[in-house]
Amino acid sequence: MNEQSLMEEMQKALGTKVAEAASAGPRRIFVRVEPGDLFATVKYLRDRFNFTHLSTITGVDRTDAFELLYHLANENCILTVRTRISRTEPVIPSLTPVIPGAVLYEREIQDMFGIKVEGIPDSRPLLWSDDWPEGNYPLRKDWTFERRPENIPGEGQ
Amino acid sequence: MKVTIPIGPQHPALKEPISIRLSIDGEIITGADLRLGYNHRGIEKLAETKNYTQNIYLVERICGICSHSHTTCYVQGVEKLMGLEVPKRGLYIRTLIAELERVHSHLLWLGVAGHEAGFDTFFMYTWRDREVVMDMLEIISGNRVHYAMNTFGGVRRDITDMQKKKMLDLLDLLRKRTAYYLSIGSTEPTFVARITGVGKLPPEKAVSLCAVGPVLRASGIPRDVRKDDPYAAYADVPFDVCTFDTCDVLARVVVRVRELVESYRIIEYLLLNLPAGEISVKAPRKVPAGEVVSRYEAPRGENIHFIKSNDTDKPERLKVRAPTLANYPATLEMLKNSFIADVPLIFAAIDPCICCAERMVELNSRGGAREVVSMSQLRKMADAFYKKAGLKKKAGTWPL
Amino acid sequence: MKKIIQWSRIKSPWILHLNSGACNACDIEVVATLMPRFDVERFGILLKATPRHADVIVCTGPVTRQMKKRIIRIYEQTPEPKFVVAVGACAMSGCVYRGAYNVEGGIDQVIPVNAYVPGCPPRPDAIIDGVVKLLKSLETKPAGRKEKKKDE
Repeated sequence: MNEQSLMEEMQKALGTKVAEAASAGPRRIFVRVEPGDLFATVKYLRDRFNFTHLSTITGVDRTDAFELLYHLANENCILTVRTRISRTEPVIPSLTPVIPGAVLYEREIQDMFGIKVEGIPDSRPLLWSDDWPEGNYPLRKDWTFERRPENIPGEGQ
Repeated sequence: MKVTIPIGPQHPALKEPISIRLSIDGEIITGADLRLGYNHRGIEKLAETKNYTQNIYLVERICGICSHSHTTCYVQGVEKLMGLEVPKRGLYIRTLIAELERVHSHLLWLGVAGHEAGFDTFFMYTWRDREVVMDMLEIISGNRVHYAMNTFGGVRRDITDMQKKKMLDLLDLLRKRTAYYLSIGSTEPTFVARITGVGKLPPEKAVSLCAVGPVLRASGIPRDVRKDDPYAAYADVPFDVCTFDTCDVLARVVVRVRELVESYRIIEYLLLNLPAGEISVKAPRKVPAGEVVSRYEAPRGENIHFIKSNDTDKPERLKVRAPTLANYPATLEMLKNSFIADVPLIFAAIDPCICCAERMVELNSRGGAREVVSMSQLRKMADAFYKKAGLKKKAGTWPL
Repeated sequence: MKKIIQWSRIKSPWILHLNSGACNACDIEVVATLMPRFDVERFGILLKATPRHADVIVCTGPVTRQMKKRIIRIYEQTPEPKFVVAVGACAMSGCVYRGAYNVEGGIDQVIPVNAYVPGCPPRPDAIIDGVVKLLKSLETKPAGRKEKKKDE
């Protein structure tokens, strides 16, 4: 089943849910949906085309909104489902009922961007140290940090 | 009794910061949990401040064992954005280094698995032979780890005929030694007994928890990025995807040993069929805007990079997901209903590369009492437990 | 008596290998020194699993935020006299990770270091050379030299 026929069938089945679909080369498809339709789209892709493997979830900070890309894979191609959510109130439903292995990636975007994932089975931070101050989301474009002054031993002698 | 295992030297080989907390009920583990953070270095944020060429060196140092996998995945993606066509000879050399890295990583892992199963002589043997592979890599690239062979448009160094001949000789030596290891399993019943039936992961769970690499293939599922999504020279090279279907640690050992043998075949094919020509093309400094998803089959599983560019010389976003992170949920599943004595072995069997991913496992048990046990104590407990139990009555057979 | 202790410490140091967020390349090279090709065990250098038995702490990796407290704790658990060898460019100054938000810098930002072994990663021969140079420097100094601890 090549990319063209896959996209056609998907658009026929999901109709208006799919805002745009494009093939970026052999074995690569990019699809855009609204956050509300994300769950239904992934469920359809998993059941119909065997996209059971979620490679990872990428978060991108486009300064006007957050974009989330879900990279799904089956034996033939990688389909990336992208969706945009608001930057001021970032909320997205969890995919764990459909793909249980998504939980770690969702915890990671929670830490890195401050996105709230609804329905996640385990919402503890994934990567922070015990003394990480609340409210700091490093991968946001407007997040900066002060570098500690370095202490070079032997200098000044 | 709540058993807490603190950070400390975990592997004899790779003392990476790990913290494990187990919940146990008697000898059996009832629950497991994860906590990461010790190895988090903030590479994704740092990559946005460096230009594309500097990022090759940054990405290489995500991991010391699978360094070539991260650079190749990154360079492949950026080459697609730049619209470059790498010459055949460059692709072959890239693939050659990739397979040598796979051999070195599997030999390293075999040694560690032997050590965890109480078989230290095996550990010393495999690491001695690993030095042969490091020699081969040093002949080509000049360094034992962090080879830095990739550049945009191809590779940086070429292989001369004399180097080719030396590598073929060393490959023969490696093959003889590996044949010896294959025979060890059949003559060493305690080794096979120790690893059979441990850490079971049924195929449906492996798929739904998104496991990757040898862990997935050890549950009988033939997914391999080199076949599903061929990159570099893999479309030209004939090889098989190795699976095994007993879903336990024995299967993982068998899959990796079979992959070793396949890798020798691939390396020989590449060396004998190396096409003539250029090894690289010139690359532009600025990368046109676009997005690309790049995948690679690292020794531990599927490595995926996502790069977004914005027509400058620095990337807009670089996302890296290393294979071991994907195997964590599967590990937690494996640890449930196992004996404590098997924890070091199960954990080692997924071939953890913590610097790639960072992990912590936490288990909670009924009762509430707490005890702090270090990993080396666990290993001693495991050895004592198995010595007392004697040979398992129903030991599996060595299938090779 | 002091001379005998000093001599045994120099002739056969026990090592603790501490990884504080490294990429593992330096760690593989440290372990490779124990493997049959380089084999430092024949010289009496033993790799120990606990800080309480160690004479020399071999550190790799840049210091991440989470590891900072653990490194200080392990350093304090090691009995005097103790020596720290920073192996690799990361342990010296942070290597490529300098400036990252979760990385403090080299090991000497957290604990005092006696010897630095440069390289990314340093070859096992270079690591052995570094440890040997450290031990030689002990022979010329009197026993029981104390290091000033850094406050953090």
